[in-house]
Amino acid sequence: MNEKALQDKNELVKLQSVNDLRRTMDGYFARLKEASETHNRKIAWCTSVGPAELLYSMGFEVYFPENHGAMLGAGKNADKYIPTAVAHGYSPDICSYLTSDIGAFLQNETPLQKSGFASVPKPDILVYNTNQCREVEDWFSFYARHFSVPIVGIHTPLCITDLSPEIITGVADQYHRIIPELEKVAGVKFDMDRFRETTGLSHDGCVLWKQVLQKAKHLPSPINFFDSAIHMGPIVVMRGTPYANEYYKILLAEMEDRIKNNISAVPEERFRIYWEGMPLWYRLSSMARMFAKLNTCIVASTYCNSWVFDDLDAANPFESSALAYCKLFIVRSDTVKEQVLAKLMEEFSVNGIIYHESKTCARNSNNRFGLQNRLYDRTGIPFLEINGDLNDPRCYSEEQSIIAIETFVEQLAGRG
Amino acid sequence: MFRLGIDLGSSYTKGVLVDENNRIVETHCVKSGYNFNNAATKIINHFTGKYEIEYPIFTCGYGREQIQVPFVSNSELIAVSRAVFEVYHCACSIIDIGGQDTKFIKVNALGQVEKFKMNRKCAAGTGSFLEEIAFRLDVTPAEFTEFAQEATQEVKINSFCTVFAISEIIGMIKNGATLPNIILGIYNSIILRSFELSQVENLLVVTGGLPAMHPTIVTLFKKTYPNSDTPEHSQFLAAWGCVLLNFEKKPFYPIPPDPLPQKGKGE
Repeated sequence: MNEKALQDKNELVKLQSVNDLRRTMDGYFARLKEASETHNRKIAWCTSVGPAELLYSMGFEVYFPENHGAMLGAGKNADKYIPTAVAHGYSPDICSYLTSDIGAFLQNETPLQKSGFASVPKPDILVYNTNQCREVEDWFSFYARHFSVPIVGIHTPLCITDLSPEIITGVADQYHRIIPELEKVAGVKFDMDRFRETTGLSHDGCVLWKQVLQKAKHLPSPINFFDSAIHMGPIVVMRGTPYANEYYKILLAEMEDRIKNNISAVPEERFRIYWEGMPLWYRLSSMARMFAKLNTCIVASTYCNSWVFDDLDAANPFESSALAYCKLFIVRSDTVKEQVLAKLMEEFSVNGIIYHESKTCARNSNNRFGLQNRLYDRTGIPFLEINGDLNDPRCYSEEQSIIAIETFVEQLAGRG
Repeated sequence: MFRLGIDLGSSYTKGVLVDENNRIVETHCVKSGYNFNNAATKIINHFTGKYEIEYPIFTCGYGREQIQVPFVSNSELIAVSRAVFEVYHCACSIIDIGGQDTKFIKVNALGQVEKFKMNRKCAAGTGSFLEEIAFRLDVTPAEFTEFAQEATQEVKINSFCTVFAISEIIGMIKNGATLPNIILGIYNSIILRSFELSQVENLLVVTGGLPAMHPTIVTLFKKTYPNSDTPEHSQFLAAWGCVLLNFEKKPFYPIPPDPLPQKGKGE
């Protein structure tokens, strides 16, 4: 078979929902832009696994710098901005979302300018949760100092094994404690019914997103990690609004339709792999093509599964928010992480697991404390470790990684 | 008709001519330079005058798809494992030290790759590390290996980085350390670095260009891990393995799944 025929046979089939995704994300940015220009609503900046439901319940438009960081990475521009942040005293070894985002800000550039924004929307308040990492506090503090606006945060215990009542109550209390500052900035009183409503919407959206991801259990899978990493946009930035839920109903229907019509994400799916760690945003599409060429589908990932907050409960929004955001994979101990990974790997019938050790994201690199070996001893499922970074392409050796990935797939084939 | 395997590596391109029984007839090595096709052509021309070569040829390495004759490409890790298994027929660990990669491969009793790991994006501990240091010290590989044999005491090289290793070495020379002792330290730093990749089990087979050019390092590996060996043609094993992989009764690793030849610009 010649190269062309091989390529056609392995060409990825685009999800039709992508147009609805674009419309949904355009709507989100349009609302932000309007708030930014007319000041008709206050703008809160929030970490990606921060208290979005609470902020939406108080009428804020919510902007997520991590989403912006991913846009810089996917646009292959991060390495243009990181040196600027480094020159301002931020180490190249810390989060490259942070360094690329701050670097872009210092250069007064943003991909949002293509959508008519003059710059990133100015915050009225910054709200973080350290459940994912401590860097977010430093990151947001830069902007709090720059804009002279308040910053509030929730400090979550790290490496949680048991979700004890003390931990949940402690985090729920912190939700209560940030409300007065939010009320002051929003100019409205906290409304429990509104919080119940956004918590319920977020729960339903997360369940829909989970259902989408779980369709990848089907053999062959109708969706791969590279699709999910793009289509997760609404659950990250519109969690707690009806917009995300509307979109995931469309995407879920397409998944069901694909299964019915035997349309798979990777045309000739032969191997199924779990992806542990961050995406390499600057290589998303080339990696998608490479895996398709290798007849390999990345069917599940820690990253995309992290936005499944199905413990949220409208009847009990404070405690359930605390539970959901402490149950998050990234904030758990290796003991729990090992159990979660083993379960997901079994559920999604994977042949192998790839660990992406991200140079600037220690918290999302779970092969640093021997977990990969323990999980291999427990499951017998082969693993591959690749070195790279979420946003900084300078940390990634592409040729070497391609050889490693191709070899890994051959290794899986050799197992029969 | 003879079969040809070519390993187009970052520093050198290695060719192995193989007879119909998969035995190595002759080897040839050239610098890869900046044009892999030129390097492969030099290899092909070297053999063409004397032997009739069968196409496609079998390739691996960084430049495995950068040639203009019909070829079938393979992973160099799978290829080197296949060749090592052909020699030893047992479960083993492989440390392959090439120009810019150091690889650890664990092979099971069936000859299958169980796991493997490559060095990070860093040249320290690879052939390039040694080449750079040799260049800066103005010492040839042959002299390098001889010097190491004269060492009386090892000097520890702590640096993880090629550039900083050189500054470290210059500092040592200034402080009176002898070149043989420093060179022994350099070799041992490479060995330690390669043992970091994974836990070595069973027989350890050390392969690649580095043991071929620096035989002293093979002795040092043996000192650190007595159950180790380096086969003949250690630099050419991946090239040979490419041929072996494609002439099993049943394909050893059937990827891509179509019948051979699967690809090649000449088809």
